Amino acid sequence: MWHLLPRQLETLWTLFTAPVVWALHFLICYVGAAIFCEKPGFLGTDFDNLRVAIAVVTALALAMIVMSAMLAWRQWGFGTDDPPHDDPTRRDRTLFQGYATLLLSGLSFVAVIFTALPALFVTECLR
Amino acid sequence: MQSALDPAGEEASQVATLFWVMTIGGLVIWALVVLLSLYASRWKREPISEQAAARLIPWAGGVLPVTVLTALLAYALWLMPSLRPFADPDRAGLRVEVVGSQFWWHVAYRRPDGTSVISANEIRLPVGERVEFSLTSADMIHSFWIPALGGKMDLIPGRTNRLSLLATKAGTYRGQCAEFCGISHAHMAFPAIAMEPADFEAWLAARSRPSEGLGANQAGRGLFERERCGSCHRVDGTQAQSTAGPDLSHVGSRLTIGAGLLENDVEALERFIVHPASLKHGSRMPAYTHLSADELARIAAWLKGLQ
Amino acid sequence: MSEVASQERDRKAEEEQLRAVWENPSGWRYWTSVNNYQIGLWYGATAFAFMLFAGLLALLVRAQLAVPENDLISADLYNQAYTLHGTVMMFLFAVPIFEAVAIFLLPPMLGAREMPFPRLGAFGFWSFLIGGVFVCGSIFFGAAPSTGWFMYPPLATSEQAGIGADIWLLGLSFIEVASLAAAVELIVGIMKCRAPGMRVNLMPLFAWYLLIVAGMIVFAFPPLIAGDLLFEMQRMFDWPFFDAARGGDPLLWQHLFWIFGHPEVYIIFLPAIALLAMIVPTFAGRPIVGYSWIVLAAVGTGFLSFGLWVHHMFATGLPQISLAFFSAASEAVAIPTAVQIFVFIATMLAGRVIFSTPMLFAMGGIAIFVMGGLTGVMVALAPFDWQAHDTYFIVAHLHYVLIGGMLFPVFAGLYYYYPLIDGKHMSDRVGRFAFWMMFTGFNITFFPMHLAGLRGMPRRVYTYPADIGWDWLNLVSTMGAVVLGIGMFAVVVDVTLHRRNKPRGEQNPWNAGTLEWISEPEENWGVRSIPRIESRYPLWDQKDLARAVRAGEWYLPDASEGRRETLVTSVLDAEPEQVLRVGGTAYVTIVSAALLGTVFVALTFKWWIVSGLAGVAFVAAVLWWLWTGTGEIPEQEEKHIGHGISLPLYASGVKSAGWWAMFITMTGDGTAFASLVFGYFFFWTIHSDFTGGLAGPGAFWPLAALGLFAAGWATTVGARELNRRGAVFAARALLVAGALLSAAGCGAALTGPWASGMDPTAHVYPAIVWILVIWAAVHGAVGIIMQVYCLARSLAGRLTPRHDMDLHNVALYWHFMLVTALVTFGVVGLFPEAL
Repeated sequence: MWHLLPRQLETLWTLFTAPVVWALHFLICYVGAAIFCEKPGFLGTDFDNLRVAIAVVTALALAMIVMSAMLAWRQWGFGTDDPPHDDPTRRDRTLFQGYATLLLSGLSFVAVIFTALPALFVTECLR
Repeated sequence: MQSALDPAGEEASQVATLFWVMTIGGLVIWALVVLLSLYASRWKREPISEQAAARLIPWAGGVLPVTVLTALLAYALWLMPSLRPFADPDRAGLRVEVVGSQFWWHVAYRRPDGTSVISANEIRLPVGERVEFSLTSADMIHSFWIPALGGKMDLIPGRTNRLSLLATKAGTYRGQCAEFCGISHAHMAFPAIAMEPADFEAWLAARSRPSEGLGANQAGRGLFERERCGSCHRVDGTQAQSTAGPDLSHVGSRLTIGAGLLENDVEALERFIVHPASLKHGSRMPAYTHLSADELARIAAWLKGLQ
Repeated sequence: MSEVASQERDRKAEEEQLRAVWENPSGWRYWTSVNNYQIGLWYGATAFAFMLFAGLLALLVRAQLAVPENDLISADLYNQAYTLHGTVMMFLFAVPIFEAVAIFLLPPMLGAREMPFPRLGAFGFWSFLIGGVFVCGSIFFGAAPSTGWFMYPPLATSEQAGIGADIWLLGLSFIEVASLAAAVELIVGIMKCRAPGMRVNLMPLFAWYLLIVAGMIVFAFPPLIAGDLLFEMQRMFDWPFFDAARGGDPLLWQHLFWIFGHPEVYIIFLPAIALLAMIVPTFAGRPIVGYSWIVLAAVGTGFLSFGLWVHHMFATGLPQISLAFFSAASEAVAIPTAVQIFVFIATMLAGRVIFSTPMLFAMGGIAIFVMGGLTGVMVALAPFDWQAHDTYFIVAHLHYVLIGGMLFPVFAGLYYYYPLIDGKHMSDRVGRFAFWMMFTGFNITFFPMHLAGLRGMPRRVYTYPADIGWDWLNLVSTMGAVVLGIGMFAVVVDVTLHRRNKPRGEQNPWNAGTLEWISEPEENWGVRSIPRIESRYPLWDQKDLARAVRAGEWYLPDASEGRRETLVTSVLDAEPEQVLRVGGTAYVTIVSAALLGTVFVALTFKWWIVSGLAGVAFVAAVLWWLWTGTGEIPEQEEKHIGHGISLPLYASGVKSAGWWAMFITMTGDGTAFASLVFGYFFFWTIHSDFTGGLAGPGAFWPLAALGLFAAGWATTVGARELNRRGAVFAARALLVAGALLSAAGCGAALTGPWASGMDPTAHVYPAIVWILVIWAAVHGAVGIIMQVYCLARSLAGRLTPRHDMDLHNVALYWHFMLVTALVTFGVVGLFPEAL
């Protein structure tokens, strides 16, 4: 299944994929809830639908983070090498990038779940 | 009397429990981290292997905090809706409107039957009943806070915030403005008195009529009118009907004057009238230095009589 | 005459030449130096002085609170003192001290001669100095800001706030600009100016942290600058952004302030942790364990810190569902923080720790910081924060975080890095004494505050009644503050007096492994020659490196054309790409900073004419600076740097440092713009009819402006392409056309709200439309200046088809301008119509 993944990119930016997904997920949840609560008529829906929407967005975000993690795992050579990846070679630099990206994916995964937790417990705008 | 650790309300006691749980947990974690670092910095110790050290990071820095924080977050999120539940604004029940101004509180009790009682700088509420507060501001941002009963809520111009409190123990507590609002922010307090429901009803009923003290000390009342005190203050049952300043209809029965500044007695009333801004910076009430000692005493006596 | 001797002579000559090129001017001209050592030192010393000043204010505050009902100082002076204390500590110490340390340390640490834009760094320093003195000085005239360091409207927009509020807004806006300048310089420096071979997996952790922090500054400061703009428009011209009576909302300021304010905490904290990440491995005598984890923590914190701002607004009555999101993110940020702490502990466990003064401060800082972090986890939960918010519990929490997480590590860094300043150690005995005084004094001061807060003591009260259980807590705090002050004083004495009778110490006294320890305080060139790096700790792993570098055996050992030069390398693998000529000693930086300072100071006093004249002079000075100091066409295409490598001296487009600087600056600028757009939609959400029933600008003029600006963009990009193909005259013609089209665009932009008679003082809707349109028009005007500048450069022969850096950078500016125009005119022209 690995050949389905996009080709490896040579850039620093891939490091930020998962945190960016977290940021977008966070923004969508916050802005969605804020508009829903401030302008109840505008979205024309009730709170339960908002919760469902948050659940869907969360699932999407988690899927993207898992995707980023898989790419990172591949870049890390599927974990065949242990850190610290401090040789002065292109290979070790790539492994380091993969490993750091994988760790960030893990953190982002947890953070996305944290962000979604409120929708589980809070059932009204409550203001 | 103004302590969040000595709760007399539902929210305050739930939060105090939360606080103690977190404090004990936090102290344990802190002690472990500090002990571990002290051990790690001992010279006479054999270094552990890099692999073992590397394993410490994901476990102690990753798994452990994630577990603890997930549990804590879930607990708090579960707590939130029950602490400050959604209340239907049309629901019958007592509603207390509070308007913050520099540096005092306008208070109006709206009863389910549509009648209102106006007061200032003092909050009374019945024990065991959830009371809805509706909070707004006439000028700056203030924050309404009675630590013994629950957390705070800001009063913001242009917005009406809601807060509900449930007192569980009768008593007198101190509340205070918690958001810096200008020069006398430190002197914007108030007593909050939780009363047994029957006492509260009786108190409220008495306050919905003009004070019986209106008729006494007529000389003082005359001076009150001569000095045009009514252009800022309201005294129920008289011509004085302005709410630009604190309502004085039953000022004599309040525990404090000047928004928690002074104990309420005749002497304090006199001092306040003579030079309000020297006791409380930024007070907009003019100084009445031209009044003679005798005149002062008469006004103060009349006001104190408004029980 | 042997060959060795002649080589030796060549080397000496080389060294003399290099020294001459990097030498500081003497006499009073010393102050025109732009070298990173001088700028870093001045920056650091100034920030330190501001910190001492703010510390004295804190002592004043504590003296007033020592006993109940105290009348030592007036309420007004108290309010000024605590406001200035917070403001100075945050804006004039905590952030600048890291810009200082970074500017001082990064070049030698990365194996560079200089930062990529030394004059920009100097400009930042002078701006900081002028702005800081202006803000601090105000208290001696009783005119200091007095409404708290976060300046909440409506209090801070009211008459009661006085001129202090303007001083805060304008003085600090000025300094924020300087911080952004530093961020640009740090990012470009770290990404592009590392020594060859210093791949991203070998970068010193300090550089990783600073890269993230500089990126955070680019996204965090602009919302505050946008907020300052709205705020000052209200104060000066009565545009009602925060006035509820006319549709404004005080909460918008709180959002904008804290979108800045919370990342700010991490902008302060991460560089301090970065210092620990350099210190701990040195004293553990081994490489850091968990390098990648540190990168995870830095990047993760950098992102998560932008999702925390509402936790400063838990009591403002926002829907609980919103609060809950921010509680969640605020808990999540504790995870990367925990990772960093355990990385240090793991490194210590895997090594043998030599206990020294820097380590003492580091460990003390960690013990304090962990406590602050744990109370942070507590207040992140909305229910607990409803009690703790705005009380002394928060005061305690934030001081535990900032003093443990920032001040102690900075002192650790001071003791650790002092030998790099003049080759001498600070006193160990004084250091230990200072540490124990500070550590105990700190805890005696701030620990009781937790309890005072829970017992109901709100912050920012200038006095309190005697009988409600706060007396002895406050007395203890005040006594602790004195002890803390004595500790600080001891360090000051050590810094100022320690030089006497001490011989020059070893070059690398702690036996550290990182490259900065190669740089000799006696020399200004950073590194004698630029080595190829093959390890995270080159001084430990690359035997003979120090000698070879100092002997000039590595790259770029000379300055044969008499110019200051450093290497530009690729982002990931640090392959050499270019020899970058950096600016040298100059007056123009001081002059520009003084002129910009005049603009802001004059605005404070509403001296419109002075301000306008200074503004024009500032633009002229900057153009002069750019014209004479940048984009210079080198006398030769390539330069030999030794070891058989030749590199180009000129690069344009994405390969040039200037392009990166423009990109980063415009990203920050775009963030400020996004904050204004956020304001527009914020007003839409809080009102059922956000236009207040007033006429909008219509669709015609905004769309006309959009079309004209798009044409301005197209001509600029076209000019770049034609110029590259050698069609110089066609390119010039396009630039002229572009300038005219853009000018028409500015006119059309302003005509929209003008023609509809929108009165910005009547309601917030016209005000926010005007501010967006003005923003776009001003950016259009800057775009015109740039087009004309390129035209002039082309005519003067300073911009050719081969040497077209300026045109690339201007085209990049116009890409951003196009987006600005699209969003502005789409929003103000089409959004109201679509509703």
